[in-house]
Amino acid sequence: MPVQSLQNTDVIVPQHAPHPLLPFLQSQSQTTLTRLYQRPSSCLSIFRLLGPIERQLIMNLLWLESALSVATMSAWVLPEGKNAYDSALTVMTGLHIAPNSTVKLALNPTFKSSLRQAITGGGNTGSFGVPTDKDGKRQSANIENLDAYALERWETILHYMVSSGQGQNPTKPSQGVLYLLQRSGLMNNAHGAALQITSSGFQFLLHSPHDQLWNLLLQYLHMAEERQMDLVEVLSFLFMLSTMDLGREYSTEPLSETQKAMLEDLRDYGLVWQRKTSSKRFSPTRLATTLTSSSPPLPSSHSTGGSRTADGTGAVALSSGAAQQGFIVLETNYRIYAYTDNPLQTAVLNLFITMKYRFPNLVVGMLTRESVRKALGNGISADQIISYLTTHAHPQMRKNNPLLPVTVQDQIRLWELERNRLKSAEGYLYKDFASQADYEYVLAYAKQLDVVLWENAAKRCFFGTLEGHANVRGFIERRTGSV
Amino acid sequence: MAPRNRDDNFMDVDSDSDISMLGDVEHRGKGKGKGKTTDKRKKDKGKAKAKEQAYTWEASYTRSWDTVQEDEAGSLQGAVEDLMARGRRRRLLAPAAAIRRAIIRHLVLLLDLSAAMMDRDMRPTRFDLMLQYAKEFVVEWFDQNPLGQIGVVGMRAGIGERIGEMSGNPQDVLKCLSDRTRLEPTGEPSLQNAIEMARSSMSHLPTHSSREILIIFGSLTTCDPGNIHDTLDACVKNKIRISVVALAAEMKISRDLCDKTGGQFGVAMNEGHFKDILFELVPPPAQRAVVRAGGPGANPAADLMMMGFPTRLPDSSPPSLCACHSDMKNEGFLCPRCMAKVCDVPTDCDICGLMIVSSPHLARSYHHLFPVKPYEAVTSMEGESESTVACHACARMFSTSASTAATSEGISPWGRYRCPDCHNDFCTECDVFVHDVIHCCPGCGK
Amino acid sequence: MEKASHLSVIVDLSPTQWHLSAQTSNQYPLSIETFLSQLLAFLNAHIASKHENSLVVFGALPGKSVLLYSSTELLSDDAPSLDANSYLPFKLVDSTVVQRIMNEFDAIGELEEEPPCALVGAVTKALCYINRITHPSSTMPGVAEDPSIVHDPRILILSVSPDLSSSYIPIMNAIFSAQKLKVTIDVCKVYGPDTVFLQQAAHLTNGSYIYLERRDALLQYLIMSFLSPTSIRKILAVPKQDKIDFRAACFCHKNIVDIGFVCSVCLSSTHYLYCFVTKF
Repeated sequence: MPVQSLQNTDVIVPQHAPHPLLPFLQSQSQTTLTRLYQRPSSCLSIFRLLGPIERQLIMNLLWLESALSVATMSAWVLPEGKNAYDSALTVMTGLHIAPNSTVKLALNPTFKSSLRQAITGGGNTGSFGVPTDKDGKRQSANIENLDAYALERWETILHYMVSSGQGQNPTKPSQGVLYLLQRSGLMNNAHGAALQITSSGFQFLLHSPHDQLWNLLLQYLHMAEERQMDLVEVLSFLFMLSTMDLGREYSTEPLSETQKAMLEDLRDYGLVWQRKTSSKRFSPTRLATTLTSSSPPLPSSHSTGGSRTADGTGAVALSSGAAQQGFIVLETNYRIYAYTDNPLQTAVLNLFITMKYRFPNLVVGMLTRESVRKALGNGISADQIISYLTTHAHPQMRKNNPLLPVTVQDQIRLWELERNRLKSAEGYLYKDFASQADYEYVLAYAKQLDVVLWENAAKRCFFGTLEGHANVRGFIERRTGSV
Repeated sequence: MAPRNRDDNFMDVDSDSDISMLGDVEHRGKGKGKGKTTDKRKKDKGKAKAKEQAYTWEASYTRSWDTVQEDEAGSLQGAVEDLMARGRRRRLLAPAAAIRRAIIRHLVLLLDLSAAMMDRDMRPTRFDLMLQYAKEFVVEWFDQNPLGQIGVVGMRAGIGERIGEMSGNPQDVLKCLSDRTRLEPTGEPSLQNAIEMARSSMSHLPTHSSREILIIFGSLTTCDPGNIHDTLDACVKNKIRISVVALAAEMKISRDLCDKTGGQFGVAMNEGHFKDILFELVPPPAQRAVVRAGGPGANPAADLMMMGFPTRLPDSSPPSLCACHSDMKNEGFLCPRCMAKVCDVPTDCDICGLMIVSSPHLARSYHHLFPVKPYEAVTSMEGESESTVACHACARMFSTSASTAATSEGISPWGRYRCPDCHNDFCTECDVFVHDVIHCCPGCGK
Repeated sequence: MEKASHLSVIVDLSPTQWHLSAQTSNQYPLSIETFLSQLLAFLNAHIASKHENSLVVFGALPGKSVLLYSSTELLSDDAPSLDANSYLPFKLVDSTVVQRIMNEFDAIGELEEEPPCALVGAVTKALCYINRITHPSSTMPGVAEDPSIVHDPRILILSVSPDLSSSYIPIMNAIFSAQKLKVTIDVCKVYGPDTVFLQQAAHLTNGSYIYLERRDALLQYLIMSFLSPTSIRKILAVPKQDKIDFRAACFCHKNIVDIGFVCSVCLSSTHYLYCFVTKF
């Protein structure tokens, strides 16, 4: 991270990676996107996924009735920001939000009218979900229950993944989830019966919940394409969920068939909650309502049932502090103290540390060469381990600078480098030369071609690459032939 | 911070963090501070030293962790609130009557750069800590005294060394403090040489400005060419106020320097205390008529100073050379008298010598003169209408149940503090914030 | 990850000035209704930009200042009924702000003389609020402080009233504390003459001061100049005010002076710091 920021000194605004969904959207056809833009909620959500400069540009153009000339707009950009501005325009063109034009700049009319509608309210698209009236008989789920439900579902999936390699038998998620995990390459059943986690699955585990969620949803979108589901319906339903209010019930009546089918899948992932499968109402969970934000989608397991303010949307900004609290203390002597009672977190930690003791609220372990090598063998990289430790560091650790002890960071990287001592290359071994002169002559030719990987003059043999073989062989043949 | 020693007398509690300084005040009050018997230091001086608390370091060895009481829930909130209460009390004790303060200050920062500064009793070393705090001090000082100027003098290897000229620009001062290698401590310090150097750099200053020397002193010796008491007398004559922050122990001469010139003396007990006593010197000192020759009622120093308010040139104006650095620049300020262009204000015009300030700089000093009235703690909820449920300033909800942890004076169990003028309630944080930072009550707008 | 930003909006709600502003004799009359509808669109645009963006709206009314909306406040009492066509947070802002302004206007009643607007109170409240959210207090145990939560706080003042000379000192004090908190103060002068105090506020805190020339384009002005957080302003040029009057007025005749005489040490008991004597 610091290295990157040093390189980008010419760009003032910190560049952040575009949202994973955007490339997917960009790959869609213009008609699909325009259909999607008909719904204000989708426009609002996509708007939020964009970078800050794109958002500002869209806002500038939003309330203009006529198109703006490109020159006028670019005059508004300081020379230092030219690159950022250009890339922002490219993103907008790619999403067909602003048509590609060298003269005039204007928003896609559909997008413009929908986003205006989203901001000012009104219209009758019903794209923000139709809420149901309070039902006197059955109390609707409160936020605590919803959080607990989402957490339980999500952790079941992760726990299943993490323990699949260890021969344990955790609760299986539903068939749909298993299929999705398999399709996305996070797990496979190479050895017949049981699903096994793959190396990309291990990497997946170390991501933040937000990334994990989008990762899975992207796979779901790909799958939806194959299942002949209408992508616009699928996407707009996801976006609608993301703009809904936590702790409220919405009616399933206005949903299309595709979306009703989706409800079932999303229930499995923990994004929505329904009392019964046949229920006419559903509630989005925090996983769903934070899809387009950067606040943590899951309450950390410590704070469930804690003192969370009742107002879901407004309080998120303040209450998220509790959820983001880390739990790992790493010392310079490679010891790790993890203040957690969550089996999932313990299991994830177990991927790369050696457990020493377990207490009701504390796990103590060591980063050892063996444990890290085991993780590396599973396809987890050193950087992933370090970033996991960094993001989950205990608040007490955050006072340190650098956050993690440098020795430990370096050692983890060194352990990774250790594995890279052997490099394999395909090629041919040339040996049994008749004379030293012969050997040297051929070797000199091979060196000219720059195909020699290894040589041993005493044994009169050398190793050449695959590409060079034809030439070297031809050379030897010509030589033996000529003699 | 030093722990509370006694519960029955909170005056004492407030002062125990810097015992010597309170004693100091008493000395200055014509040196006959008989009124207060609670002053421990005086007691020590007066009575035999064979008493159980003969030395301050023995006195401070109380079990500080015992005085911090956890409440039932195991939190330290009570202790924290107690600390807040001290701050409040200090404010309440501050004289409400008008004090004359020096607005235009000149300060020479005298840094000890002797070998004693490499001592590691303060982390990382005394020297590094001093540089760090000195920088923070300079920033804060210029923030509160925008019309002031600071010069830096170092003492090492037996001589005084000019490190930075008198300057009104914080950046200049910070720059000369940031070059660590140039300041590498060595040799013995010489108080006399350094003070003479500081004195000579201030001798030309007009009478209306205050002249101060702040010495950060880590050594226990001074290596002087002559009689330092002559220097001291000269300082008294020139009305130079000397304050000393000692890092090692109290030296008689340092104490004398402060007492005779009306400065403050303090010995830092630890890193935090060092910072505290250093930063107590940031607000402008009260001017005492006693020091002056005139009798009561006389107003000898209320001179009128001529000041120029410059015209600011916008960034888009054509570039021209500035009078101070001869740099080609677009922006700048024009001296109203000679129309010379200077880069930054406040400064003295390089051409005509007129003092150039901008009105915000003057305004920055106002809050010393018009402090916000201290808020009263709401101690009883009886007869209160339930109209205000949230802090008037930040809209934070007040707690409805009284906290039992803090029962000390000046603390509201409901966390409510009321402005005596507009009768609005404020929360603890806003109370502190309003008095320390904003200096303006959100309720009455004054 | 990009940080959330905080915006405090201070709306000057002086009935007299708004009445004057709505007169059709103006070149671009702007009534408070149109103003509010455009302002609400701007507020929504701020919330729309990022889910975590926080927003506070203060109103400066004659003689008092009130909190109109706060995104951290619990609004259980008058939660608007949800409908399928609008995003709930937007609707909350709209209904709360409008309702509270109406309540306040109703409460004003008929007065002979209108006291000046409590702009200072609103600004100091906004600062207290920012202080509160940037420094999570110890009175909220369990909420770990995460410095990244609130970032880049800004204050936007929408002013219609002229300067009030008695509020000079408090305004300056507020500006200095804003500098300390690293708060940017933006000023949009919607109606009335330029105010020197607010110009200085914007200049000293690196904000922008904009005099609204075409009042019918209020929303476009607001969005182009004041929506972007400071990190974006480094890239996209935001208009700044360049001509700022840093001269002082003498205390005796209120004349603007170039060179004045300042009392070096004033007794505060005399209630003024300088005795400026005009030059001749």
